[in-house]
Amino acid sequence: MPPPTIAFDAMGGEFAPTEIVRGAARLSLESDLDIILVGDAPKLSALLGETRHNAERIAVHHAPRSDSPTASLPSTSLFEAASLVAEGRADALVTAGDTGALLHACLRTMRLLPGVEKAALAAVYPTELRRGAKDDPFSLILDVGANHEATGEDLLTFALMGTTYARVISRNPVPRVALLSSGAGAEWEHPAILEAEAEIRRLPDVEYLGLTEGHLIPKGSADVIVTSGIVGAVATRMLEGVTQTVLDLARYAYQERLSWRLGLTMVAGFLRQLKRLTDWEEYGGAPLLGFDKVVIRADRRSHARAITNAGKVAAKAVAHQIPRAIAERLAPPEPQLVAEG
Amino acid sequence: MEILHVYRWDLDKTYLRTDFDTLRGLLRAAREKASAKVNVAGSRALVRELQARPGARVSIISGSPRQMRRTLEEKFRLDGVEIDELVLKPNVENLVRGRFRAIRDQVGYKLPALLEGRSRVPARASETLFGDDAEADAFVYSIYADLVEQRLSTAQLAQILEQCSVYEDDAERALDLASTLQKGPPIERIFIHLDGYTPPARFQAYGRRVVPIYNYFQAAVLLLLDGHIGPKSLVRLSVELSQGYGYSLVSLANSFQDLVRRGLARAEDVTAIRLAFEANVALFDKLRPATEVIQTFVERLKMVSGLKLSAEREQRPIDYLAIIGQEGPPNTWRHRRRKRVEAPRRKGPPF
Repeated sequence: MPPPTIAFDAMGGEFAPTEIVRGAARLSLESDLDIILVGDAPKLSALLGETRHNAERIAVHHAPRSDSPTASLPSTSLFEAASLVAEGRADALVTAGDTGALLHACLRTMRLLPGVEKAALAAVYPTELRRGAKDDPFSLILDVGANHEATGEDLLTFALMGTTYARVISRNPVPRVALLSSGAGAEWEHPAILEAEAEIRRLPDVEYLGLTEGHLIPKGSADVIVTSGIVGAVATRMLEGVTQTVLDLARYAYQERLSWRLGLTMVAGFLRQLKRLTDWEEYGGAPLLGFDKVVIRADRRSHARAITNAGKVAAKAVAHQIPRAIAERLAPPEPQLVAEG
Repeated sequence: MEILHVYRWDLDKTYLRTDFDTLRGLLRAAREKASAKVNVAGSRALVRELQARPGARVSIISGSPRQMRRTLEEKFRLDGVEIDELVLKPNVENLVRGRFRAIRDQVGYKLPALLEGRSRVPARASETLFGDDAEADAFVYSIYADLVEQRLSTAQLAQILEQCSVYEDDAERALDLASTLQKGPPIERIFIHLDGYTPPARFQAYGRRVVPIYNYFQAAVLLLLDGHIGPKSLVRLSVELSQGYGYSLVSLANSFQDLVRRGLARAEDVTAIRLAFEANVALFDKLRPATEVIQTFVERLKMVSGLKLSAEREQRPIDYLAIIGQEGPPNTWRHRRRKRVEAPRRKGPPF
């Protein structure tokens, strides 16, 4: 079986194309994946010429237009990359580009799986607890920004897609699911959440934990946290910001006073561990679930390491045939034949 | 038969896959039997194709110790390759004489060896050189090429050798040989096998003559276009890469696209590859149908269609002293290269 082909939108993200090229270049040296860099070919060729890479594993696909949040037009790098995947010339798409443009490009080139009304962008968040046969130290949160709002039915679909991902990728046979709520009590909850709760409770192969609040996410009691796009995006951004602030404060203190420096040096091991656990670049990217192809979105601020890891996540999702697994999970149960007599 | 063209090869990391970056690797290479030595993918096939050319001479100049001659000759015999000349380094002699710098030095050893080799072939013989990115092959080969083409004076050479901290006797030998050298035709290409994946841009200072390559398929394509090998040779080499080293069609097509992106080949040159595979269907069809080969190549080429990427046409003068000024003396390059590959240590808080 040939290694999967990963199409990288080389022009998407704050540090594109330099960091995307560096990340893909590193991936070409660390894996046997076939890589297609989509973007401004002269620019990408020049960057590749200055970067250690294995040219046997990298091809460049020229897309003359650069990306913009509104332009999911043909000939932009993102649209071209999505088209390569949709046409089967690549197996997965990785982008650090704008979420809205990504969604537009995917909607125009790929198909939503039967039973999916809205695709959901997932994010992984590092947690205290580990899960699945692989001891993965993160929860999956979805949706984190693909949609503004979600109905109860959408949230149920997100739960089904999220648990399938957790089951296949983390090898977690019975994922624990929670719905993110305000914590103000059932009478104040959004009707969509209550509607979804009633349905998720009835799902087989899923342990439903009930409603959860934002501060419980890092504890990791839930493997899959379901929420609507805006809430998910705000929650994940805030959680990332807290750790960053702790580390920034520690760095500031380290520079300020000798006594603080000594104290911080003593707990440096713990701080490194905290940084490692909460380092989103370590996880690379998270999937956009619901399409018939593998789509991985890396953070807009991604540097080379995050892009390399996003490529690895994409390869894993391809190897485990995530879209197919989700499609099977969403398929209505076949009617059982009852013998007459 | 008169010698018309000389193919000069380096050995370690160019023809053989040798690990001399670690002491353990060095000791293993010195002890291992001929049958245990592993080729760089495609090197054996390419040498075989090149030596079959009428008037071709294959010469190997290696930094391996002279004590390895018998093992290496046995290896070439096993490979079915006939070497016309094998020059090895007097490492034990250097040790005994306390010339420790000479053990690592490439310029002081390789340049006189190349010039001596040149004195043994007719002045009108053209040359193609093969080296790698592990040490200073591009540097030494370029000096040699400039001396053959008489683009470099002995006074300039003396300055370069001094900056390279070459032992006085080695420098004198090189200068003597250079002063008696007859002008020859331009050295056609200097292929540098990117064993350590050194970015190709690092070789820009050497001009168009130096061609960094990721594999010998790339070299074979350019040699086919230059008329050194025939279409059948390219297909035979592709078969060896595919069967012996697990190369896929996609990796070969990517390698060709890389040549096009670097301006070393033109998209239209795919026709030569197409014709080669179509004319030798029987050879490659056992692995993949020729049509599939062409389709993969064309698809990867279409990805960059319409781009005008061109390489330099003329060989420009090389400022060797500026290269030394920027990169340090060549005997330090291997160490520097390893440091570049390793992640740099960051200053600041330990968290």
